[in-house]
Amino acid sequence: MATIKDIQEQIVEEFAVFDNWMDKYQYIIDLGKALPVIEESSKTEENLIKGCQSRVWLSCKEKDGLLYFTADSDAIITKGIISLLIRVYDGHSADEILAAEPEFIEQIGLKANLSPTRANGLLSMIKQIKLYALAYSQKESGAQNKEPEIATEAKLYPADELQKNIVRALKQVYDPEISVNVYDLGLIYEIKITPPAGEAAGFEVFIKMTMTSPTCPLADDVIADVESAVSDVPGVKGVKIELVFEPAWDDSRMSEEAKLELGLL
Amino acid sequence: MNIINRIRADFPALEQKMNGEQLIYLDSAATSQKPKSVLSLMEEMAGRTNANVHRAMYALSDKATELYETAREVVREFINAPARENIIFTSGTTASINLVADSFCRTFLKANDAIIIAADSHHSNIVPWQLAAQRAGAEIRVLPISTEPTQGRGFTAHLLIEELENLIDEKVKIVAVTHVSNITGLVNQVERVIEIAHRHNIPVVVDGAQGIVHQAVDVQKMGCDFYAFSAHKIYGATGAGVLYGKRELLEQMPPYMGGGDMVETVTYQKTTYAPLPLKFEAGTPNFIGAASLAPALEYAKWLKDGIVQSVDGESVSVCDVVEAEQKKITEYLTEALFNEVGDVQLYGFEKSTDASTGVKKELPLFTFNIKGANAGDLAQLLDKMGVAVRSGLMCAEPLLNSLGATGALRASFAPYNTLAEAKNFIACLRRAKQMVL
Repeated sequence: MATIKDIQEQIVEEFAVFDNWMDKYQYIIDLGKALPVIEESSKTEENLIKGCQSRVWLSCKEKDGLLYFTADSDAIITKGIISLLIRVYDGHSADEILAAEPEFIEQIGLKANLSPTRANGLLSMIKQIKLYALAYSQKESGAQNKEPEIATEAKLYPADELQKNIVRALKQVYDPEISVNVYDLGLIYEIKITPPAGEAAGFEVFIKMTMTSPTCPLADDVIADVESAVSDVPGVKGVKIELVFEPAWDDSRMSEEAKLELGLL
Repeated sequence: MNIINRIRADFPALEQKMNGEQLIYLDSAATSQKPKSVLSLMEEMAGRTNANVHRAMYALSDKATELYETAREVVREFINAPARENIIFTSGTTASINLVADSFCRTFLKANDAIIIAADSHHSNIVPWQLAAQRAGAEIRVLPISTEPTQGRGFTAHLLIEELENLIDEKVKIVAVTHVSNITGLVNQVERVIEIAHRHNIPVVVDGAQGIVHQAVDVQKMGCDFYAFSAHKIYGATGAGVLYGKRELLEQMPPYMGGGDMVETVTYQKTTYAPLPLKFEAGTPNFIGAASLAPALEYAKWLKDGIVQSVDGESVSVCDVVEAEQKKITEYLTEALFNEVGDVQLYGFEKSTDASTGVKKELPLFTFNIKGANAGDLAQLLDKMGVAVRSGLMCAEPLLNSLGATGALRASFAPYNTLAEAKNFIACLRRAKQMVL
């Protein structure tokens, strides 16, 4: 079976035949038309790729350790592009997919010849393919993210919901130097939720967190942002934050998605 | 040189290649190109006459202020407003409508009141009203459009003004309509809207972003209470626009933003505001953008009433030539879209009995889809052939959705566009259609 590298080289060779972009587009469109149609049932919200202007559905199945993709789009050029990506990555292992960059895109000049919105869409498609691969590789290795320790003494409803909402709020706070939120960056070590005492009207939230470096000049801003984001969660009455540098943060604490976002994978 | 080519020579942006092809710019409804007179004023003001307006005692500031205030007078005359106090410079149509939605509604809109907006509105004449309604606890009512399919060729999409009477009751405090739709290119009879609303003492805001370009606007004759437009759609700079407002309403409205230039005296506790129009112009304005309205509207005026000598020494009306070309373009496209391209769904037209298409367009603004083709795909391919058209929702999602579309293609023509360009566009569109279908 051809490697991802072989297939990419083959695509670059095919595109070299055309000397203008109208012909290249025609080729991409024809590939789009030839892409097997997917079942309507696969066109779910879950399979819809975010970040594309046209609607693109991508689903992935695993068989004998190899990943197989199907896709569809309501725009034919987009469909042609995703058919190229599928041709490159289809039938390979998750590790192979994660290790291979789609270099053919640069080499055939595709990115430069797309409108900026479509170029963004292209990046989203690649990210989605890699996210699928990541999910399967984690499932195989049984790897665990370093999730913060979340403790709640509350047995009652809204604790579960509250916990989700607090995590959601933390994901809205961004490290000013790295474009990843504090939660996925792994800065949150502990979240403790204490139920209202007696008649008090709301939960107390205790957060233990760190900074990427003890000398971070913007630490106060980040802490203030965390405090205000969590305070805004309905049901929260008070927020206490403890800043610790033990254990020290390192990039292994980042979620896989954050690593992907930063191009560390 | 014929007159259209002479006009084209005034717009440097037209003479360039895109993707190796001569640019055919068909997105003037999004922003128009700028003539040399506007460009040179902008360069002059940025590079030489650069001093803050209304502030200083030195000559350079006076010169800048004069250019700024001259533009106000040019605007006043262009729309026949009674006085300079009626003309407020803003950052554009969106800012003008937000100003009214915020300031007017803070004074006049209470809980359980209602605002009427029009179904063919641009987002900028929908969202500000929703925000105002949310703040006050008021409701939004929508003046509907006809969505009558015609011989499988699309939808007429007229504003159903006769429905207005049914929507009005004592709760309605303001009506917001669009002069010319940026999707359908249809001219709404805003005078009728105003007449009905005024019978109930309800003020009317008109979004004139497209209207100011295509129609002769006389705000006194029209009778509107507010008229909003942008400089950049009528040959001026981006980031500048106008709100015309009736004086008695503007006087009663609180300032929209606080800052410098809009004050008379300020203590730490209390401020008295500057008289109109400066009350609504807080902070250093975009004085280059506002001043660009002078040459921009003068250009627009020249297109309407200019006289030039033809090569044979005859006097020719610029307007006659431009209108004839625009009419030719409109008629050609109406016919060619259906008969040469085919499978077209056109959004917004007049029904016609005589033409072979059963469809008539007033203005050269065409929003359409080709059945089975994605508008984004077509726009991408047209771009490769040098043709710039808009694709997507054109900031009018509710309107397109009510016409059954999740996106569309729009080609809009300006006086600097030619019939030859229209023909080229159709040829390119045919090629794009063949490629994707």
